[in-house]
Amino acid sequence: MVNVHPMDEGYAGFCRDESRTQGSAASISFPVSEDEVRALMRQMSAAGTPVTVQGTRTGLAAGAVPAGGHVMNLAHMDRVLGMRVAPGPDGAAVFCVRLQPGVVLANLRKYLADKSMPTAGWDAESLQTWGELCEGTEQIFPTDPTEASATLGGIVACNASGARSYRYGPARPHIRALRVVLASGETLALERGARVARGRGAERTLALETEQGRRMDLALPSYEMPRTKNASGYYIEDGMDAVDLFVGSDGTLGVVTEIEVELVSAPAVVWAVSCFFTAESQALDFVVAARPELGCALAFEYFDGAALGILRHQKAAGAGFASLPDVDPAAAACVFVELGCADESEALAALERVAALIARVGGSEDATWVARTDVDRERLRFFRHAVPESVNMLIDERRRTDPAITKLGSDMAVPDDRLHDVMALYRETLAEAGLESATWGHIGNNHLHVNVLPRNAADHARGKELFCCWARAVTDMGGAVSAEHGVGKIKRDFLAVMYGEGHLREMARLKCQLDPQGLLGRGNLFSAELLDEERAACAAAAGEKGCALDAAAAGSPAGASPHAAGEVA
Amino acid sequence: MHVVVCVKAVPSTTEVRMDTVTHTIVRDGRQAVINPFDTAALELALRIKDAAGEKGAPAEPVSVSVLSMGIPDTERLLRDALSRGADAAVLLSDRAFAGADTLATSYALACGLAQMPPADLVLCGKMAVDGDTAQIGPEIAGALGVPCVTDVRELAEVGAGRVRVWRGCEGGTELAEAPLPAVLTVAKEAADLRMPSIAGVRFGERARVRVLDAPAAGADPARCGLAGSPTQVVRSFVPQRTSVAVRVEGTVAEQAAQVADLIEGMTL
Amino acid sequence: MSGLVVDAARCVGCRRCEKACATAGIVVEGRLARVTEGCVLCGACVEACPVGALHIEKGAAADAADLAAWQGVWVFCEQDAGAVLPVVFELVAKARELAAARGCAVTAVLGTGADDVALGAGGPADAACARLLAGGADAVLLCRDERLAQRDAEPYAAWLAELARERKPEIILCGATPFGRELAPGVAVRLQTGLTADCTVLEIDPATGLLQQTRPAFGGNLMATIACPAHRPQMATVRPGVFAGLVGAGGAGDADGLAAPVVEDLLARVSEVALDPRATSHVRVLERRLLAEGASIAEAPVLVVAGRGIGSKKNLALVRRLAELLGGEVGCTRPLVEMGWLAYRHQVGQTGVSVAPKLLVALGVSGAIQHLAGIGGAQTVIAVNEDPEAPIMAAATYAVQADCVAFAQELTTRLEG
Repeated sequence: MVNVHPMDEGYAGFCRDESRTQGSAASISFPVSEDEVRALMRQMSAAGTPVTVQGTRTGLAAGAVPAGGHVMNLAHMDRVLGMRVAPGPDGAAVFCVRLQPGVVLANLRKYLADKSMPTAGWDAESLQTWGELCEGTEQIFPTDPTEASATLGGIVACNASGARSYRYGPARPHIRALRVVLASGETLALERGARVARGRGAERTLALETEQGRRMDLALPSYEMPRTKNASGYYIEDGMDAVDLFVGSDGTLGVVTEIEVELVSAPAVVWAVSCFFTAESQALDFVVAARPELGCALAFEYFDGAALGILRHQKAAGAGFASLPDVDPAAAACVFVELGCADESEALAALERVAALIARVGGSEDATWVARTDVDRERLRFFRHAVPESVNMLIDERRRTDPAITKLGSDMAVPDDRLHDVMALYRETLAEAGLESATWGHIGNNHLHVNVLPRNAADHARGKELFCCWARAVTDMGGAVSAEHGVGKIKRDFLAVMYGEGHLREMARLKCQLDPQGLLGRGNLFSAELLDEERAACAAAAGEKGCALDAAAAGSPAGASPHAAGEVA
Repeated sequence: MHVVVCVKAVPSTTEVRMDTVTHTIVRDGRQAVINPFDTAALELALRIKDAAGEKGAPAEPVSVSVLSMGIPDTERLLRDALSRGADAAVLLSDRAFAGADTLATSYALACGLAQMPPADLVLCGKMAVDGDTAQIGPEIAGALGVPCVTDVRELAEVGAGRVRVWRGCEGGTELAEAPLPAVLTVAKEAADLRMPSIAGVRFGERARVRVLDAPAAGADPARCGLAGSPTQVVRSFVPQRTSVAVRVEGTVAEQAAQVADLIEGMTL
Repeated sequence: MSGLVVDAARCVGCRRCEKACATAGIVVEGRLARVTEGCVLCGACVEACPVGALHIEKGAAADAADLAAWQGVWVFCEQDAGAVLPVVFELVAKARELAAARGCAVTAVLGTGADDVALGAGGPADAACARLLAGGADAVLLCRDERLAQRDAEPYAAWLAELARERKPEIILCGATPFGRELAPGVAVRLQTGLTADCTVLEIDPATGLLQQTRPAFGGNLMATIACPAHRPQMATVRPGVFAGLVGAGGAGDADGLAAPVVEDLLARVSEVALDPRATSHVRVLERRLLAEGASIAEAPVLVVAGRGIGSKKNLALVRRLAELLGGEVGCTRPLVEMGWLAYRHQVGQTGVSVAPKLLVALGVSGAIQHLAGIGGAQTVIAVNEDPEAPIMAAATYAVQADCVAFAQELTTRLEG
C-alpha cells in the first residue's frame, strides 16, 4: 500500500508552484508505479477526495497547486522504461522512448546527449534500439521549455512549448502514446492513430474503451481552436486523436502514468544570432520578413528595450551577469534567431540571409552576436535566461518595500498577420495605464510575455485589468490567451473570455464523462462551482436516461474548498 | 604595432570523459576548440587594437595576428579568431611538427613568428587545458630572447616601447612593466572573448589563412615534432580510481560529530 | 623510422584506435589500422589499443659518453622574504632518493640579493644554506647578486642555465610554484632540454638509469610517464605538497638547534658562484595590490569548497562560517562562479585555481574531472554529498553521504560549541 502522508509542515512546499500561488491539501502521496496510482485513485474516489496531480511544480499557472483534498506527486515515477523504433508521421522510422511521468526533462536530455541512458531492466528490443540510437545521428526530445527541471508528465499536462516550438511545435505532436489512470482507477492505453474523433463541429464524439472493458462515447465540445500556438483548454478538432485530448488537459481528465515520446534528429549544425535593433519596429519587421525566407530557423526570440535595460542595470550592479557581453546602450530591441542546418556552408548561407534581412529593415549586421561554438551558444543561452532572472531580481527588490507586489506575466499568442497589431495594442495600453513593463518571448509564434512591473499595489491592480482587456483583444484577433503555460487556476478568467461560458460548460461536461465525481485537478480550466453545476446537470440527465451513476457523485467532493486556491498570493 | 596571439586547439573540455568499459578517454569526434586561456589572450589583443582605433588615440594602428601549430583542421579555429577581430592568421601544419613536446612546439612557433611581420607583443594563454604545462609562453620568450610576464590578469597600458600589466603574485596582483618586444601569458579570467558579428564571420570565412609547412617556416626538421622533442612519453595509463574513501556513516548529527573529531585530530 | 607504428600481426581491426583519436589520425581499413596525415602522435590510440598493436617509435640515438658527463641532482631553492619555501625541502628529500639510485650527490642551488654580502657570515643566506644542508643537500651553490634579490625569471634563468652548462647536473628539480613554472621553462629552452611539469611521481628506471617522470594529463584522467633520454639535464617541476610525506619531523632543514661547529662544518660545503654580468632584468614591478579580504585559496591550509549541491546562494553564509571556524578559505566549483554566486578567484579546478590544502571539505560538490584535477594536492578531503556515487566521494579521504547543508549546519554548531 502506498503511504498517504498527512499534509504537515514538512510538505508545505508541495502546496505551491512557480506561479507563487498558495494552495492547501489534507494529504500527499508519492506513488512509484501505475498500480500504486490505481490503488490511490480507487481509495480517493471511494472517499470522494479531490486529487491534484503534480510533478516538480515548475508550472506558472498553478495547475499543480492543490485546491484541498489529496496531492498525488509523481516525481518518484522517474524511470525510463524502454525504447522502440516506430514509423513516424512521414513514414520514416523514428525512435520512441517510453518513460514514467516523473522523468525530469533535463535528465532525459542528459541521457540522450551523453548516451548514458539508465537501461537496467530493459527488454531486448529496447536495448537493441538504444544501441542503434547511439550509433546514429544525435537524437533529441525537441520541446525546450525554459525550466528544464520540469517533468515529462508536467510537459504533457500543459502541452509545454519552448523557443524551438517555432520549428518543432509544442509537446503534443511528439507524444506518441499515453497510459492514463482514470478517476475510477480504470486504465486507458492510448496510442496515436488508434482512436480518432468522429463527426464534425457540435456532433464530434470520441469512443474510448478502458483496459477493463468499459466503453465510453465522449461528446466533445463544439468550439473551434485559434489557429495559433495554443495551450488554452482541451484540444478539440474534427478527426482529432485521443492522445491529443489528454495532452494539455491540465490534469483534469486522468493521471498520466506512462508516456511514449518521439525523438527527432538534431540538426547537424546549430548556430544562433542575436540581432540588435535601434527600434522595436525594425525587430518586428525583421521577424515578419524572416519567417517566410528563413526556412532553417528553429526559433525567433524577442527581448525589448526595457528588458535589455534591466539586464544592463543588473549587470552593472554586479548581479552575477559579469560573463555576459555588454549590450550596446543604443540597442532598443533584440531578436535571437536559431538556425538549424545540415552543414556549415548551409549555415553560412543562412547567416547571409539574416544579414540581408537586417539590412532590409534598416538594421546593422555589425550589431549582431553570432554563436557558432559551444561556449558562445552557452553564453547566448545564459543571456536569454538572464533577462527574466534580472527582472525577477528587480521585482524582489520591490517586494521588500511592498510584499504584495508580484510580476504579472502574459502568455498570449496571435496569428502571424497580427504581430504588429498586438504589439501596438500592448504599447498603447501600457503607456495609457502608465505602467512599467519588460517584454520578451517567442516572437516567431507572435507569442510574447509582456511583464508588467508594478511599483505599488495600484499598478498591480491596473496591470490585472489590462490583462483582461488584452485577453478580449487577443481573442478578437483570433489568438490564444494561454499559448504555453496552460490555464491552470490563474488563467481561468482569460479562458472564459476566449471561449465564452457556453464552451467552458462543454469542457466541464467532457470532464464529467471521464471523472463523474469531478475529483481530478479541481479548479483547473474552469471553476469548481461551474464544474459542480455541470456535474449535477449530467447526473440529472443520466438519471433520466436511466444510467447508473452513483448518487453520491453528484454531491460536492469531500474536503474541497472552493476558495482554497486560485488567488494569486 | 603588431600583436601575435598563439592559440592551441584543444578538445572541448566538456567532452573529456572516461569510457567506463575501456578506461580510455572518450573523444567522440566532437570538434576541437581554442584553448580557453588563449581566448582570453586573444580578447586582450583585440582590446589593444580597439583602444588604438578609438578617436583621439595617439597610438599607432595595431594589427592582431593569430598563430597556431596543428593539424589542417585547426584552420577552422583560426578563421573563428579572424571572425572575432584578428587581422591575419598563420597555421604551422606539417607531419614534421607532429608529436612535439613543449620545446619543439615553442621552437616551431618561434619559426612561425619569424615568418610574420616583427611582433611587438606575443600573447599566449597561461596554460592549455589538455597539457596543463604552462611552459609554452616562457619557452617562446627564451627562444626569442625577450622578457616574459606570466599570469597576466589585466592590461594596464601598452605603448612607448613598453607594456604594463597586472599579473598574479602571492596574495594579490602586481603591476609589472616590460620593454617591447615581450611575451605575455594570460590568465583565463583576464577577459571573456567577444562574440563575432555576421560581418566578422564573413571576414573570417573569406580571409586567407597562411599555412606553412616546416620548410616554409624555415624550421630545422631535427628540432621539430617528435624528432626535436627531448621528452617522450614512455607509457600512459589510466590511474586506478578505486575508492579508498572511508565512509562516515550514521545520522547527520552522528556524521557531523565524527567529522568534528577527525578535524580536531588534525594539525591544521 | 619514427612515428606511430602499427604492428599488422597484432592488429585485429577493432576500431578502438579510431574512436580514441581526436584528429582522424588513424583509420581502420580491411581490419587493419593505418596512420593518416592527421596523426599528431598524441598517443591516445596507443593507450586505447587492447592488443598492444600500436606504439610510437623514436629513432634518436644519444651519445652515451656525452650523457655520462652529466652527473648529480640539483634542486632549485626558491625563497620568499628570505625564507626557503617548504617545497624545496620536499624536493631535497626526493632528490636524496634519486641520488641514492644514481650514486651521485644532491646540490641545492640558491640565489639571493647582494644585501646578504653586507650582512656577512651568519646572515640569512648562511642560515638558509645550513638548513638545506641539514635537510639532506650534499652541497650548496650560492650566488649573492642584487639581480637575484627579486624573483625575476630572466636573470635567474640566465644564471641557472649558465651554471648547468658549466657544471652539468643530470637532473634539475624545481617547485611548480608560480615563479618555478615561469623559471623552469626559461632554463629548459636555454639548455635546449626537456622539462616535465607538475610531476607526481619521480623515480629512476633501474634498467636505463633515466628519470621517469609521471604526471597527470587531461585533468588527471590519464597519467603519462615521461622520460628525457637523449638530453641533459632532465628537468621536472613538482607541485608543493606532493612529496611532503618525505620530509620527516625535523627533516625540513631544521638547523636552529645545531651547534655552531656543526653549522660551520655544513657551511664548508657551500660554494659561492657568480652571475654573468650580461644577465639583466627587463621586467620591473612597479606596484603591488594585496587582496585585503581572504587570502589566495591556492595557499590556504584549509578550504571549504561549495558545489551546486548547496542549492542556494544564501547557504554560502553557512559555508563561510564553517570556513571561518576551520581557519580556512572558501572555494567553489565552476557553476557557482558562472551563476555569479562567488568571484572567479574562488574557483577551484583546472580552469580555476589548483589548491593543496591540508584539509578540504567539499560540500555538495559532484567532482567533475576538471574540478578533481585542481584538488589533487589536498592532503585530506572530506566530501559531503547526497549521492554516494558522485565522483568526489571516490576521490575523497572521507565520504559523508548526507544532505550537505544539514551536515554543514550540524558541523558548524559542533565547532561553535
